[in-house]
Amino acid sequence: MSSINSAPGLVPTPLGSRDQHFIRRFSGGYTAELAAEVRRAGGGRAWFDSQLRTGRDPWEKKLRSWFPSLRRSPQEIARRDRAGIQGAWEVMDDLSRWTLLMRIGSPWQVQEQLVAFWSDLLHVPLMNDKAWYHRVDYDRMIRRHALGRFDLLLTEATTHAAQGLHLDNVYSTKREPNENLGRELLELHTVGVDGGYDERDVKQSSRMLTGYRVDDDTSVPYYDPSAHYVGRIKVMGFKHPNSSKDGRKATEAYLHYLAHHPATARRIATRLCVRFVRDDPPKDLVKSVAKAFRRSGTAIQPALEALVEHPAFAKSVRRKVRTPIDDYVAAVRGLDLRIGRPVSEESFANAMNWQCGEMGQLPYDWPPPDGFPADNLAWSSTGRVLTSFDVHRTLAGGWWPDKQVRYRGLQSWLPELPARLGAVIDHVGLRLLGEEPPQSVREAVAAMLGKGLTAKVEEIGDWEVVGILATLLDSPTHMKR
Amino acid sequence: MNHETQNCHCPEFALSRRRLLAGAVAGALGVTVADVIGDAHRQLAFGAPPGGNVLVVLSLRGGADGLSLVVPRGPDHDLLAAARPGLHIPRERLVGGNADFGLHPALEPLLPMWTAGTFGAVHAVGLPAPNRSHFEAIEEVERAAPGSIARVGWLNRMIGLSPNAAPQDALQVGSAMLPAALLGSASALAAYQLSDFEFGELGRGDGARMRSLHRMWDHESGEIGRAVRLAMGATTLLRPLADADIPTDAYPDGPLQEVLANTAALLKADLGTRVVTIDYGDWDMHSGAGTVDSGWMTEHAGHLAASLSAFFTDIAAIASRVTLVTLSEFGRRVEENGDYGTDHGYANSMFLLGAGVNGGTVHGRWPGLTTLNEGDLALGQDYRSVLWEVIATRFPEFSGGRATVFPGFVPEPIGAMRA
Repeated sequence: MSSINSAPGLVPTPLGSRDQHFIRRFSGGYTAELAAEVRRAGGGRAWFDSQLRTGRDPWEKKLRSWFPSLRRSPQEIARRDRAGIQGAWEVMDDLSRWTLLMRIGSPWQVQEQLVAFWSDLLHVPLMNDKAWYHRVDYDRMIRRHALGRFDLLLTEATTHAAQGLHLDNVYSTKREPNENLGRELLELHTVGVDGGYDERDVKQSSRMLTGYRVDDDTSVPYYDPSAHYVGRIKVMGFKHPNSSKDGRKATEAYLHYLAHHPATARRIATRLCVRFVRDDPPKDLVKSVAKAFRRSGTAIQPALEALVEHPAFAKSVRRKVRTPIDDYVAAVRGLDLRIGRPVSEESFANAMNWQCGEMGQLPYDWPPPDGFPADNLAWSSTGRVLTSFDVHRTLAGGWWPDKQVRYRGLQSWLPELPARLGAVIDHVGLRLLGEEPPQSVREAVAAMLGKGLTAKVEEIGDWEVVGILATLLDSPTHMKR
Repeated sequence: MNHETQNCHCPEFALSRRRLLAGAVAGALGVTVADVIGDAHRQLAFGAPPGGNVLVVLSLRGGADGLSLVVPRGPDHDLLAAARPGLHIPRERLVGGNADFGLHPALEPLLPMWTAGTFGAVHAVGLPAPNRSHFEAIEEVERAAPGSIARVGWLNRMIGLSPNAAPQDALQVGSAMLPAALLGSASALAAYQLSDFEFGELGRGDGARMRSLHRMWDHESGEIGRAVRLAMGATTLLRPLADADIPTDAYPDGPLQEVLANTAALLKADLGTRVVTIDYGDWDMHSGAGTVDSGWMTEHAGHLAASLSAFFTDIAAIASRVTLVTLSEFGRRVEENGDYGTDHGYANSMFLLGAGVNGGTVHGRWPGLTTLNEGDLALGQDYRSVLWEVIATRFPEFSGGRATVFPGFVPEPIGAMRA
């Protein structure tokens, strides 16, 4: 992140409401820089399109040297863990931090949203002690395909060591097949639990996947033809003689079949709509997204285009609750924090992991195999509210984490004074959230300060600015996207 | 001892560190409010009546070594000694127990309760099938609904049985995140400590932040609107506790100190809370578990015992209402590994303390150490049988809800609770 808001007193112009909707749904949240980018692109939709082909990412380049552990191979991460040099759980902390920083600062915001989407669908938990040597590599793989084609993504994900270890496929052999991945591939990753398969299909699915192993000592993935089940495979409409000891070609054909299955298209379309439109997406929206997905041979971009073009998208303003991660990322972006290279656990880039975790969510940190829930109810607990609002206040005050980070001077949020309180609130709202807050929020800020909206304000103390910022972050304007 | 330098992959390190930092931050901010504001009381008018029974579930995360906590005395002791030349506890050092088992000597602070019959154990409990992954096993234990991937916990299903379920019915103390056991459609609260149940003051102070929140959230539709209003209600209801100076001096220093002191204060305030969940992690002793005289296991078990003893002393006035059970996701391998530790195992022991406990003995079918499950203590009984016995005896109002709390499960009698 660079640049941002200009001199105090200058009132920024808000984006149009449709443009705002695009950035609330497809970015980590408002920044002045993003608003300028949307303007340059010619509006929200044009900005969205321009994001579908990613380019240079100076932020990512800068982060590379911050977390050296993330550039190591799975084998190197394993070796260092076993030798007691760096625990794999520490590498997972780094992955979580780096992921948050990418969502906060990458110029390729749509890609970050899609990485999160696919990571939930093809979930491998952050702290899975079987899979974690391979988790960083798995993330790199997802990123390569995040804006590409699902069939390629599915093939790489299913045969990846991280997924194989997470769902036990590496222990599955022709003699003792383990059904964990064979089942979840159908239930979670593709056609869904009502996709039309039965227990025989699960068994066949598991046999098809045998052969992908990981060496216990070196953590090197390999294919073991002696573990692979040879013989005819039939799963739903997929039939294959599977007569070769090397079953990789047949497995790829099977995964291709599942990726292109209509039930898979429906399932992925539904998940896209729940994530980017609303919890109860209209049927014809899902249908048109699924159709675009299938027609394009499982390319994600036409599906996303169908989604934003449907009238239901434009009508879904603020239908979604920000998850704790969304909330945190948007707050950090809005507050315009300048995060520097971490040098200790207290540095912002490191300590933010505890702060965001305190809100109840960290990237990929979800133990069961189904990925984070995307519905509003899941993220609407009282504990979530208490911790979120506590963190809003701490961030607004710039109290912690306060090392290797620069918070804006509190007075720099304000317009030129004197001004009416209502105008002050609008001004801060525009700079923090990218929009003027609705009347109920303006009144809430006034109540917090114990002043009337029309009161003439000569000066505002730092403590009161903290109150304005925190109240705006506590508001429905921030908590819903 | 710095456990982090050891080769142990435990997320609970992270949790304890997180808690430490959060505590430091809370201390640094320190603006509080004393007033009770607004009409939020009304939103919490329902909920369980005061004076009811309470279940405290203490999760020993990381896989506590039940074979070192509740140790066989008979011929199985010889097998254990042979499998664990470095780690086993000599027969003559065992305390309490019964004819067949003795307790780890570090549990001595709880011996008065054992003798009084308010502290007992069940051995060889576990999941219906072994799961040696921490994360999966924890999920499975807490969802307690094999075959379902719905992320709804058994305690949430239990409190949800009440038509008047209210958020203060169930609380996680010591963490802002609800454990899997409390996730689900019934509301539950979570906080590091009771003082978190407030919205730190802003602006004018004197309740201005609460008034401000009401202004912008009272008419906000949807799930998050409801959650904010519930949170406002909870902070109002718990405000006297949030502001109270909760004494911790009677508790030993360590990770359970504030958590148990807060739990005791909450239960003594008698707000209708039925369920409290607490975590006590760092049991994943793959290496360097120490000896019977000192080290990780002995210190950890000692802290557990001294803390629980202090807790039951603290709540003496309401002891007839409070039952505490311990759960751990799995036990440890019978054979020790090369590093004075043990790897992930299967069946485990469980403790029950307090009201209604048929204590002073070790219950359960004991499969012995002759026939193992892939090197681990085999299953004697499903852990849900023990939990159901607690629910059935302590919460008669839920006893018709067995199929909801533990779907598809038929418990067997254990005898760990007095009927």
